[in-house]
Amino acid sequence: MTLIYALAAGALFGIGAYLVMRRDLLRVVLGVVVISQAATLTLMASALGFGAAPIYPLPSGAISDPLSQAMALTSVVIGLATTALLLVLVLRVVDVFRSQGLDEVAEDEVAQEATLDAEHALGHEDEEAAAR
Amino acid sequence: MSHPTPLAWLAVVIAALAFGACLLLAMSGGGRVDIPWIPSLGIRFELEFDGLAAMYALLATGIGVAVFTYGAGYLPIHLHHAHRPRDDDRRFWPWMLLFMAAMVVLACAQDLIVLFVAFDLTAVASYFLIGFDRERRDARGAAMMALLVTVTTAVLMLIGAVLLSVEHGTSSIPTLIDVAEAGPVTTLATLLIAVAALAKSAQVPLHFWLPRAMEAPTPVSAYLHSAAMVAAGVLVIGRIHPLLALEPMVLDGLLVIGVCSIVIGGLLSLAQDELKQVLAYSTVSQYGYVVVLYGLGGPVAAGAAAFYVIAHAIAKSALFMTAGTVILATDETRLSRLGGLVRPMPLLAAASGAAAMALAALPLTIGFFKDELFFAAATERGPLTGIVAVLAAALTLAYIGRFWLRLFAGPLGIEPHAVPRLLVVPILVLGVLGIAGGIVVEPFARLAEAAASVTYGAPVAIHPAYHLDTRPENLMALAAWLVGAIILVAAPIRQPIVTRVAVLGGRLGPRRWYGALLQGLSRLSDAIHGEEVRDLRRSVAAVLVPTGVLIGIGFLATPSAWDYRIGDIGREDLPVVVLLGLGVGAALTVTRDPGRLRPVLALSVLGFALAAVYAVMAAPDVALVAVLVEAVYTLVFVAVFAVLPLSQRAAASAAHTARRRRDLAAGVIAGIGAFITIWAALSREPSQRGDALELIRLTPQAHGSDVVTVILADFRGLDTMVEITVLAVAVVGATSLLRRGRSW
Amino acid sequence: MSSIIGVVAPRLLGPALILAAAIIVKGYADVGDGFSAGVIVATALALRYVSLGWELAERSLPVLRRAPQVATAGLLIALATGFAGPLVGDPPFTHYPRAGESVIHIGTLELITAVVFDLGLFLFVTAAFVVLIHHLARLAQGGPR
Repeated sequence: MTLIYALAAGALFGIGAYLVMRRDLLRVVLGVVVISQAATLTLMASALGFGAAPIYPLPSGAISDPLSQAMALTSVVIGLATTALLLVLVLRVVDVFRSQGLDEVAEDEVAQEATLDAEHALGHEDEEAAAR
Repeated sequence: MSHPTPLAWLAVVIAALAFGACLLLAMSGGGRVDIPWIPSLGIRFELEFDGLAAMYALLATGIGVAVFTYGAGYLPIHLHHAHRPRDDDRRFWPWMLLFMAAMVVLACAQDLIVLFVAFDLTAVASYFLIGFDRERRDARGAAMMALLVTVTTAVLMLIGAVLLSVEHGTSSIPTLIDVAEAGPVTTLATLLIAVAALAKSAQVPLHFWLPRAMEAPTPVSAYLHSAAMVAAGVLVIGRIHPLLALEPMVLDGLLVIGVCSIVIGGLLSLAQDELKQVLAYSTVSQYGYVVVLYGLGGPVAAGAAAFYVIAHAIAKSALFMTAGTVILATDETRLSRLGGLVRPMPLLAAASGAAAMALAALPLTIGFFKDELFFAAATERGPLTGIVAVLAAALTLAYIGRFWLRLFAGPLGIEPHAVPRLLVVPILVLGVLGIAGGIVVEPFARLAEAAASVTYGAPVAIHPAYHLDTRPENLMALAAWLVGAIILVAAPIRQPIVTRVAVLGGRLGPRRWYGALLQGLSRLSDAIHGEEVRDLRRSVAAVLVPTGVLIGIGFLATPSAWDYRIGDIGREDLPVVVLLGLGVGAALTVTRDPGRLRPVLALSVLGFALAAVYAVMAAPDVALVAVLVEAVYTLVFVAVFAVLPLSQRAAASAAHTARRRRDLAAGVIAGIGAFITIWAALSREPSQRGDALELIRLTPQAHGSDVVTVILADFRGLDTMVEITVLAVAVVGATSLLRRGRSW
Repeated sequence: MSSIIGVVAPRLLGPALILAAAIIVKGYADVGDGFSAGVIVATALALRYVSLGWELAERSLPVLRRAPQVATAGLLIALATGFAGPLVGDPPFTHYPRAGESVIHIGTLELITAVVFDLGLFLFVTAAFVVLIHHLARLAQGGPR
């Protein structure tokens, strides 16, 4: 089973990585979700023992490792939190740039930065003063 | 306008109390504090008020009282000139007090790590003090430069400290001195610490921050650059001197750097026109003396070094304050415009004259003895160091004489306006102290002896006294005065030479290298930053690629990582395999589907499939939460994506396809990398198995039956706390993005 | 389909709350904890937001407007139970009453710190989700800014 779990988690990670690199912000969010699913699966698969659920009264025989389950739960929640933040970030970006294509957003950003630079020379004033 | 604020008086009172406490401690024979600090690393918070500590603590607090009193009068005028509110001194006095406290701790520190922390604390306080005029760009730059030079080198000190404690198993300095033997690691470590100390003491070639730091208000210069910040460097050398002395080459290096600092500092001091610059370069030169003495080694030199620090601190702080008073009284900072101030300001002239005489080592001042001891130590080593010593003393006489004569003698340059008495009295006190030390030298000599005994590691006796005979010290002093007087009067010959040295130094000097280095680093960081943030894909790559490289290195470094296991697959595992296949298949469709709703639904298929896997894996808690979270995901994604506007701009399709291929390749590589890593990790035998069993065993005692729940809410409650903190941060972040910080 | 949601969603809250209460009370003996209980309630509330729109949802259940305060209170309860230990010199997340000491029972519910912590967790998770859903709904459904 080790191989199967590793294959599934690796495939999910690869799919997630591909999605994160897409130009559509929607897909970036989905990619992050898939990657966190891969992480949870890995945590679950890293249990030191598989068997019955670790709930009293315990049956005789092997018991599943409760620690990896607790960690998987934590990872699910944290994945949820990061996804929520990311989703809101995307909504804001769409709201500001009226676009959900990363390239367009990047283009707009470059243009905006250029105008900012032209308006008042941004830079590292103190660092430059320190270098003189 | 010039009334000191209550805060200033409070600072003076605290300094006075600290001085009194140090005096009491010194007379009662010291004391020690030794408490465990980081027991797992064997680091103790170890302070001892020994001879060396007594000397530097008394200097830091004693000169502190004088300078703080001066600052109480100076700062209101300074703030008034800068059109700043009077209570802006609350950005000043806390840092001054912190600085003083850090100096005292540094003086008493007996553990390398404590030493490092106090050392860095002084640097942090100095940053805010030098940059006190924060509306001025030059002041901010000067503060940054002082911080960069002293703190980056302080990191070397930390490295040295870690090397020493790893090599010898302790970071306690007295123990280290007992157990350490000469060896390459010890030598390297002590060298690193010495570099940090030398940079702090503004020694060539890292001296350039000190003249720049003259942007600070004068009380800061008077305090930091006479008795405190620069003294911290030689204090560290004095503290670890037995370790440095293990390798004679290190001491020789100190000697060379000290001589360079004396000569370069002295020549550049003669070339300066700005009052405080003259004194700044003179400080470089004067601490060069101390470093030379430590480089000479031996009991005589150790005693001379300690005594030198005392005499210099008293005289130099008085001269810095003189410069500040003159600048405030005349609004002029250049020597060439000033002169003849002896008539309008006789008291100041007398007080600073005493201080200048002390620095120039004229008889009847404490300074005479510092040179007497210096000459004695130098001739002990050989004729060459003797000659260098005479030249150094001559240079000192020349630049200090030039400073005082230009200010007070000759025709009146600018008519000064009246200054508050607080700006003269502290100078007078220090001037009197300088003279008193020239008549009754005993207390100062005892203080220096006690300090030198710590540095040398054995009792040291010094006997400064006037001897009316032709012993070498006296002859050398006479020669130094003669040469110094010649340099002083030969201004037409001297000035072109030193000006040329200054120009050459400006063109090729270390400050230029430092500037180029800093600008290069700044540009490099800008370039990396620009590359990384320009595009989300690059940001992702910036995390994933180094992670991949590090993991690859991890694989190469662990041979056992290549031990893969397939694991048994039984009939009962069939549902898991099918469900995992279903989930991955659903995830794959997400990559191909251009739409909106279907990818979200496919994702929820993946989520529910995984939840089912967890259920089959006998993890009902995880399965429950996974189902719930998946429901939330689906609900929220459908709701949000339904309202997202579609992209307006069409992408160029050829570039699009090429990019898609690249992404595909990257995704496949990432997937394979993750697969290999996870497989390797899952294949490893655990090093211990007891934890889970222990948790299961303890669960009934925690009044629970479900082990996983008990782990989350009880055994590892801190994890859960951190987890909901992450959730809270995410909610706060999301809220501030959506509603600009309003929570509802 | 939307009419089904419209009928079901408002009526789901009661069962969801009962289920959540059951999970918290039983949580220690059986599957589920404060987090899952919180998510269950939050999901029911989210359905209300979806079906009724945020304005109506909050008007019909004004306690929703107190979500930020409830979240803060939950976080504070969790923090307080977790870090009560260090105040009296014990490690953080010490279990009170200590193992072996007698425990106050309220029905089947045992009054131990871990249960209080779980309750704080439940309040926080529910309210935090409501805050998020509220903002997302406002953004998605529009309304007075």
